[in-house]
Amino acid sequence: MEIKLRNLKRNYGSLHAVDDVSLDIPSNTVYGIIGRSGAGKSTLVRLISMLESPDQGEVYYDDKRVDNLSKKELIEERRKIGMIFQTFNLFSSRNAADNIAYPMEICHMDKAYIKQRTEELLALVGLEGRGSAPISTLSGGQKQRVAIARALAIKPSILFCDEATSALDPQTTRSILALIKEIQKKMNLTVVMITHQMEVVRDACDRVAVLDSGHIVEEGDVADIFSSPKSDVTKDFLSSLTNVRESVVRWSDKGGHYTLRFRGTSTDEPIISSASAATGAIFNIRAAGVQTVNGEEMGIMITDIGPDEETAVKTVAFLREKGVGVEEAKKEAE
Amino acid sequence: MDAFLDARMWTLVAESTWQTIVMVFLSTIFSMILGLPIGVLLHVTSSEEQGGILPRPVFYNVLSRIVNILRSFPFIILMIVLMPLSRLIIGTSIGTMATVIPLSIAAAPFVARVIESSLKEVDPGVVQAAKAMGSTNWQIIIKVLIPEALPALVSGVTLTIINLIGYSAMAGAIGGGGLGDLAIRYGYQRFSPAYMVCAVVVIILMVEIIQFIGDKISARLIAKR
Repeated sequence: MEIKLRNLKRNYGSLHAVDDVSLDIPSNTVYGIIGRSGAGKSTLVRLISMLESPDQGEVYYDDKRVDNLSKKELIEERRKIGMIFQTFNLFSSRNAADNIAYPMEICHMDKAYIKQRTEELLALVGLEGRGSAPISTLSGGQKQRVAIARALAIKPSILFCDEATSALDPQTTRSILALIKEIQKKMNLTVVMITHQMEVVRDACDRVAVLDSGHIVEEGDVADIFSSPKSDVTKDFLSSLTNVRESVVRWSDKGGHYTLRFRGTSTDEPIISSASAATGAIFNIRAAGVQTVNGEEMGIMITDIGPDEETAVKTVAFLREKGVGVEEAKKEAE
Repeated sequence: MDAFLDARMWTLVAESTWQTIVMVFLSTIFSMILGLPIGVLLHVTSSEEQGGILPRPVFYNVLSRIVNILRSFPFIILMIVLMPLSRLIIGTSIGTMATVIPLSIAAAPFVARVIESSLKEVDPGVVQAAKAMGSTNWQIIIKVLIPEALPALVSGVTLTIINLIGYSAMAGAIGGGGLGDLAIRYGYQRFSPAYMVCAVVVIILMVEIIQFIGDKISARLIAKR
């Protein structure tokens, strides 16, 4: 199902939590919404998922407007979407299977069907035979698997993930993201993923919107955003990613004046050597590495270019022509 | 002293104990019937920050005030005030059955507060999840709030029963029957310390047993989660 947001606004007192957000979330994709804490992403997801009404603006699922529904319609519509949370929010009074059964129970589905569907879902999320387990006996990853199964019980067309992996360790995060991607393909879901982790966007999303102080500052294909980020917020997110990732090797404590981003085929070519030969530039590489973004290789290199300003300018032009993204670091990086 | 430690005393103690048990049992049930809906209503209509799923500030404040007023009424005065009501329902204002009415009404606001505070402890995230899945408010109350709060609710009921044992002893002062009555009439008015001691010991035992059972049930519920 396609989701359209039109000029959404939501204030809390004088705080503009969401300020004039318009987005088109295409159907059958994993769509990321990334932002720092306080950027308004929690409010945004509550608006998109009908948990809260906007002060202004409209939300559409396909062509149905859903932000101004009556109480009865709202309950009907909520029964067609799935949602998972950072803290899992499972019912501690129910075991794993009964948690999964809950959304079907409240729709008064047939008991035999519920039982059979619960078994199916447990198998789907890799928890066969664990149906009778009390929630407290499950690990974080298993809890999120139960939550995913519960969200999928009523065969929704949209799945909202509100910081779904933020409470998990990196390895579990990867397995949960892989599961979400697999399910998305299997069920043709539209997945909306709210996160503050760039690695979640890199590993799972097809498209991404970057949110800052209630505004969308950048939106597009994940590979495009990674290879040529435009806003400072996005660049910050990317640099936090390259600093912590073991895929980037760092030789120097100094920042380096230029950040080069190689995408796709340009990672295979000896571009640095060609640039050296063409312009006589000297590269002092501070850090470099390759990461996989959405199945595509993405190279990053932090470097100084010498010997003088003039050569550097020429080299940057050469590199850009070859399809390499070049960013000049701010002076403070020195 | 020996004269009182005879069969007659034990018969009286046994009778009084039974009366106390009946009084406490019935008034627990009636106070729950009265207090549970009020407690749920209080929680549901409280502000969103408090976890209310259907915030109704004016209604909440009025109900909350009424509950507070009833709670601050001294029990002995409430009993006297409610004598005509007992006469109307039971036909008399003295005796075990007549005491059940004021006991139930006195404990109901307490029960309401205990229920409200137990429900308030339920993780708001879980309630949000239930809401996001399209639960009606009624489904949230029956299928989420009450089951999630069950261990706390059991502790609350235990507390209520123990309170009612105390209240029922007080009811003895105005001819309500039970162990309190025995202690006052025989122990105090007839200067028989043996009766007094017996009544107090039995009350202590009852409280201990109820507390023990309540703790066990609550712990069992938690262990199964």
